[in-house]
Amino acid sequence: MMELALASGIGVLTAAGVYLLLRARTFDVILGLTLLSYATNLLIFSAGRLAVGKPPVLRPELAENLQNHTDPLPQALVLTAIVIAFAMTAVTIVVAMRSRSDNRSDHVDARKPGCDA
Amino acid sequence: MNHLPVLPILIPMLAGALILLLERRGIIVQRIVAWTSILALLVVAGLLVDRAGEGGLSVYLIGDWPARLGIALLVDRVAALMVMTTSLLAVASLLYACANWDRRALHFHALFQLQLAGLNGAFLTGDLFNLFVFFEVLLIASYGLMLSGGRSLRMRAGLHYVVFNIMASTLFLIALGLLYGLTGTLNMAEMAARVAADPADQAIIRSASAILLIVFCSKAALLPLYLWLPETYSRTPAAVVALFTVMTKLGVYAVLRVYTLVFAAGAGESASWVWPWLLGAGVITLVLASLGVLAGRTLRGTVAYLVIASAATLFIAISMHTGASIGAGLYYLAHSTFVTAALYLIVDLVRRQRGALADRLAASAPMPQRTLLGLLFLIGAVSVAGLPPLSGFIGKLALLGSVPADQVWWIWATILITSLMTVVALSRVGSQIFWRGQNDPVDPATTRPTAPRRLEVAAAIMLLGFGIVLTVAAAPILDYTAAAGAQILATDEYLDQVRATLPLLRAPSP
Amino acid sequence: MTFPALEILLGLPFVLALIIALSRSASRSSIGWLAAAAPVLGLGLLGMITPEVLDGTVVQSSHPWIGQLGLMFTLRIDGLAWMFAGLVLGIGTLVIIYARYYLSDNDSPQRFFAYLLLFMGSMLGMVIAGNLLLLVVFWEMTSISSFLLIGFWNQRNDAREGARMALAITGAGGLALLGGVLLIGRIVGSYELDVVLASGDLIRAHSLYPAALLLVLAGVFTKSAQFPFHFWLPHAMAAPTPVSAYLHSATMVKAGVFLLARMHPALSGTDLYFYVVSAVGATTLLIGAWTAIFQHDIKGLLAYSTISHLGLITLLFGLSTPLAVVAAIFHIINHAVFKASLFMAAGIIDHETGSRDMRRLGGLRKFMPITSTLAIVATLAMAGIPLLNGFLSKEMFFAQALEIQGHAAMRTAISVAAFLAGVFGVAYSLRFVHDTFFGTWPRPIEDAPHEPPRWMKIPVEVLVVVCLAVGIVPAYTVAPVLAAAAYGVLGDALPTYSLAIWHGINLPLLMSVGGMIGGMILYFGLRRLFDIHAIMRESFGRRVFRRQVNGLLALSWRFTRGIGNGSLQRYLLFMVLVTIILAAVPFLADGATLLGTNAVSQPMPLLGWAIWLVLVGGALATVMLHRQRLLALIVIGSVGLAVSVVFVFLSAPDLALTQLLVEMVTIALMLLALNYLPQESPAEPSRMRRWRDGAIAICAGAGVTALAYAMMTRPANTIASELLARSLPEGYGSNVVNVILVDFRGFDTLGEIVVFGIAGLVVHALLRRARLRPDTIMPGPADLLPMPMTLSHLLFPLALAVSVYLFLRGHNEPGGGFIAGLVLAIPLLLQYVIEGSQRVESRIGFDYARCIGIGLLCSIATGIASMGFGFPFLTSGHVEPGLPLIGEVPLASALGFDIGVYLVVFGGVMLTLSMMGTVKSPTEPAIRAHTS
Repeated sequence: MMELALASGIGVLTAAGVYLLLRARTFDVILGLTLLSYATNLLIFSAGRLAVGKPPVLRPELAENLQNHTDPLPQALVLTAIVIAFAMTAVTIVVAMRSRSDNRSDHVDARKPGCDA
Repeated sequence: MNHLPVLPILIPMLAGALILLLERRGIIVQRIVAWTSILALLVVAGLLVDRAGEGGLSVYLIGDWPARLGIALLVDRVAALMVMTTSLLAVASLLYACANWDRRALHFHALFQLQLAGLNGAFLTGDLFNLFVFFEVLLIASYGLMLSGGRSLRMRAGLHYVVFNIMASTLFLIALGLLYGLTGTLNMAEMAARVAADPADQAIIRSASAILLIVFCSKAALLPLYLWLPETYSRTPAAVVALFTVMTKLGVYAVLRVYTLVFAAGAGESASWVWPWLLGAGVITLVLASLGVLAGRTLRGTVAYLVIASAATLFIAISMHTGASIGAGLYYLAHSTFVTAALYLIVDLVRRQRGALADRLAASAPMPQRTLLGLLFLIGAVSVAGLPPLSGFIGKLALLGSVPADQVWWIWATILITSLMTVVALSRVGSQIFWRGQNDPVDPATTRPTAPRRLEVAAAIMLLGFGIVLTVAAAPILDYTAAAGAQILATDEYLDQVRATLPLLRAPSP
Repeated sequence: MTFPALEILLGLPFVLALIIALSRSASRSSIGWLAAAAPVLGLGLLGMITPEVLDGTVVQSSHPWIGQLGLMFTLRIDGLAWMFAGLVLGIGTLVIIYARYYLSDNDSPQRFFAYLLLFMGSMLGMVIAGNLLLLVVFWEMTSISSFLLIGFWNQRNDAREGARMALAITGAGGLALLGGVLLIGRIVGSYELDVVLASGDLIRAHSLYPAALLLVLAGVFTKSAQFPFHFWLPHAMAAPTPVSAYLHSATMVKAGVFLLARMHPALSGTDLYFYVVSAVGATTLLIGAWTAIFQHDIKGLLAYSTISHLGLITLLFGLSTPLAVVAAIFHIINHAVFKASLFMAAGIIDHETGSRDMRRLGGLRKFMPITSTLAIVATLAMAGIPLLNGFLSKEMFFAQALEIQGHAAMRTAISVAAFLAGVFGVAYSLRFVHDTFFGTWPRPIEDAPHEPPRWMKIPVEVLVVVCLAVGIVPAYTVAPVLAAAAYGVLGDALPTYSLAIWHGINLPLLMSVGGMIGGMILYFGLRRLFDIHAIMRESFGRRVFRRQVNGLLALSWRFTRGIGNGSLQRYLLFMVLVTIILAAVPFLADGATLLGTNAVSQPMPLLGWAIWLVLVGGALATVMLHRQRLLALIVIGSVGLAVSVVFVFLSAPDLALTQLLVEMVTIALMLLALNYLPQESPAEPSRMRRWRDGAIAICAGAGVTALAYAMMTRPANTIASELLARSLPEGYGSNVVNVILVDFRGFDTLGEIVVFGIAGLVVHALLRRARLRPDTIMPGPADLLPMPMTLSHLLFPLALAVSVYLFLRGHNEPGGGFIAGLVLAIPLLLQYVIEGSQRVESRIGFDYARCIGIGLLCSIATGIASMGFGFPFLTSGHVEPGLPLIGEVPLASALGFDIGVYLVVFGGVMLTLSMMGTVKSPTEPAIRAHTS
């Protein structure tokens, strides 16, 4: 059940992200990319399979194995992914700002208002 | 302990950090650091090629962890060749930038070094997620290099470039998640073993590998993912775009590396499926790109399509998937990188000679230095079109020679006809730009030629010179690339070598 | 041969071309002499090896170039190569002398002679190449250099077009030839000429023979201007006349027929060969001769006559009997001689009268008697009048045409063609002589021309003398040369033949006589019937070629525009679509099971569903509301929150913390950005597109869901257990995630912080000098709220403490450098948002870029330290000092690494934020940020 829920959640995030990604305005595209990054983070995370209450923080009383802890590797990967996604978002935002102010339009193709498709 | 494999990444990274500290000390200091790093890089690259040339694979365990736990670098002939190509390219492009662009683009030298670190990392790493990380490093650095000091339409092109690549990176992550979830490891060789081991999940693995393929092909500008390239490259400063010419090749390299290693041996279905697709796509892309060369209305646009065409040719080479064809492809890779970079530099010089006309294909008043630039362009054009006697011809010759008999007809036809199209296009371009038209719109007001600086011309000549070297020393180089092609197909050796390389003081992995 | 004569012979032109190109200041005449030195010295060298060649030995020298491709640098001179080399060099010398006086003062002699020598070298290389691939190399080089020569007067449109046309046609032929040669290589297994020529039977027997033959012939026909590729030659006449005299009579156009001769032992002797070659030759012979009659431009007439003579030669090779081959070679020599002299004469006329149009010329024999006599003699040779060299080879040609064995139909056809060609030949020769030298000078007498400088005449005189000498006493002049050349082709199959003027009354002689009479009748008949001068014929081939090229250009433009319309939306659409398709194929193709083996579904608590609802609802709401941007921002924030809760819920505290902090910063950035972007997206015109994108989005979502579920329901065989086991003993940390970040996969983290740092730099580079007009100040610097400001001041020291704490415990508990860095940045961010950047900047002026640099250095240095001890990069070491308050701090060297992370993250975030905060609007005066 839980797997299906998470999978579907990821799916919805992806769908929403893709839809916004295909819009014509920079800001919408940025929103789309953000949603997509949520989706991918959750996907990578789910690659470690799902477990409740088994943080990968070693405790003296618990044996160090996958019965007591979830897979830490995907978590590390997601951390890296989050950071990189943030960096990319920052850059995108700024480029969007510059493109808007330089080209007088926030259309992704810098089309003048009115003649957009 | 031999640290050679990690140096190509560390040197520029260190230099980049150092430059950030010294930025307030003025441009000269930055240049000194940059050049020291580049020269060191050249030496290291030389040593790498030399060592790889002896035929061994060297695996470097970062953090002294066993390959499957930590991250391992992997040096074979191909990787060494790529590092070498990049370093040589970097010398020329830095030379060009030092003429004056680096004064105008904020953080240029830092970004340049970090970009090199990213490229070399991507070439050397043997770990799939680490490959992703270095992709991001070189991408974000390339955003900086492209956009720093730019404005207006370059911003639009930049936006396209950034968004497109972020989407590609997203796909990369999806593929990575799936692959780790199914194989439970990130080291390419280990992953190869596990992929080969479980035939049950072939379908999903193949889906994941398909998604990964999209990522690499969008970097390498393969049909239908090349549309972003012409505009982006045309809007990028010359010194930078010269370096960018190796990035499409990086995509090809990634395909070659991942699909010969991870999805090759044993993994029958997920191995074989990719090459026919790529061969077809490569052929179509080559045709379309040549049409693009013919259709070019600006010099930079024309060169951009030449870049795409060269990438397509590479795909044809590696998709035929014999040691010989891959070897020919690698030679062609080096050649096309240098010559397209040279063309971009030459075109930039021409553009600045023609004032308002810029690089539009229209008859203009005779420009100063038209003889020199014309000569350089001629050499570049002959080489890129694959006419004798320059490296382009040798590359194509080697490629045509390596085509297996059953595919000879259509592949030869494609390659020969597209080269003819290139010849026609370039003769047209050349005669329009360098040969004075009868109806000269001589407009002194618009024509403010800025003379080419010595360094800039030197950079262009240097790149063409690399081509000459490739021509004269073709025999040994082709030997090397052929060996590289054979080596990369021998997948099992990689796994053995990765497993056989033990940590110094840690316990090996069971 | 000890001393490398062949290499020097070949090298000379190139070296001298280089010298001339570099000699900027040299005088015209010295450049002329320099240029002439190449062929003269060359002839000397050739003379040295002549004795060997004449007694039948083949002079060779071979160097490896690219052995693995079979491309050897083999030079090889046998009789044929020797004869051609002689032509190239001999006529080359004369042309150079002639050109020295022909070129006007505003033609750069450097360029001209450099190009000319370049061509001479390539041509020489082609004839003495001993390796087929090498031959192709030089073959293409002649195309390139002739492109430069034809376009020498590049201010003229016709020159540029002619040059492009020639390059396109001959270049295409060259590529075809390359293909053919490669096929031959595959058949024979070598490209060495000796081997190839020796294995003719093997080639003819092979299944690839027809393909190889046709490809090679394509090269031959394009180069030698055979029908239907002949039309480029007349347009190449835009070249300076010396070039026409050299390339388009004596040498380059002969390259094709040279190749026929060269490959004769390997390719000829099949019906296919016979029919194709002789048919094409005959057609060209007739078309060329007939068209020549109606040209008004002297060079045009000569060009078409050249075409027809080349057709004659090709036809002879097509017949491919030994005697035909001899005749062909003989005619190659003769044609080269008389046609070169005629072109030079034409050049003189042009030079002196300023026109080559026969309608504007006449009566020249009165003004320039010597030139006229020379030209007339040469023309008679062209027409094949007895006592001149043309006559002899033409006789042999007639004889061969009459003696075709077997193919009776072909015999009659070709004999008729030969006779007609004879008639036409005489006709256009008459036209030339009559229109140019006889009749009356059409223009006022004062601008009447006069004889040229004598150095322009001398080359013509030399050539005409040769015509006569060969024509009268062939046995003592041309015989040995012809014998040697023919031997080079035929080897021991060399037939016995006699070069005599008088063979008695026989059919060929009658054909000649008939031809002459017929020619006169035809010419004067035509004149009587209608005015030749009025006839205008535009080259058909050129029209077709133009249409083809323009069509191709238009097509390519449509294609390129059609595919790439410069719209990002399309690029992304393609990427998404291709991904969906490629990823779906394996399932659709071999319907693999989606569901994994262990579909053990864990129970889903209520809380889980709640989170799920927020997540999904938030995502959908973002889509719904995305046009009211502020609202969308808040909603998407909630989605991010939900994600971090998911992480808490599924036992990933580090992730939750990071996700939370990053979320805050991202939202803040977007808020700041909204100052400079419109508050709303305009409505989209096309509902169609919205539906299309929606459908695609759903497909993508479904696909990802399927893949994710399929993955999660499969057993995981991961290396994680090993990581867990080795984290504490070897990584000295009990927070395994953090240990992975700074130790197991520290290299990733290094790359990650590089990315982070660069992001800061990019933002800095993009915004420092930028002037952006705020759209409407949203949460602006404008109004200062007193209360929160003090709050944020209080917050700062607290945040510092917290971040240090988080940082230090990070290795064992959730936390670490990255989180700590963000925690430190957040309150500053608050200040930026609340009280505006300038104030903050003035309080904490700080070079964030340098901070990033220091951080990077710190991390890298930690990594390098271990290399000092002889361990790989980033190997971690360990000590355990006790610190007050915080307790046991395991100072893994990883800590040093983490400090770097801390600094980079802090610097990066702050740099970004401060830039976003201090953007200068074009209106208000700029206050420089401290961060430049």
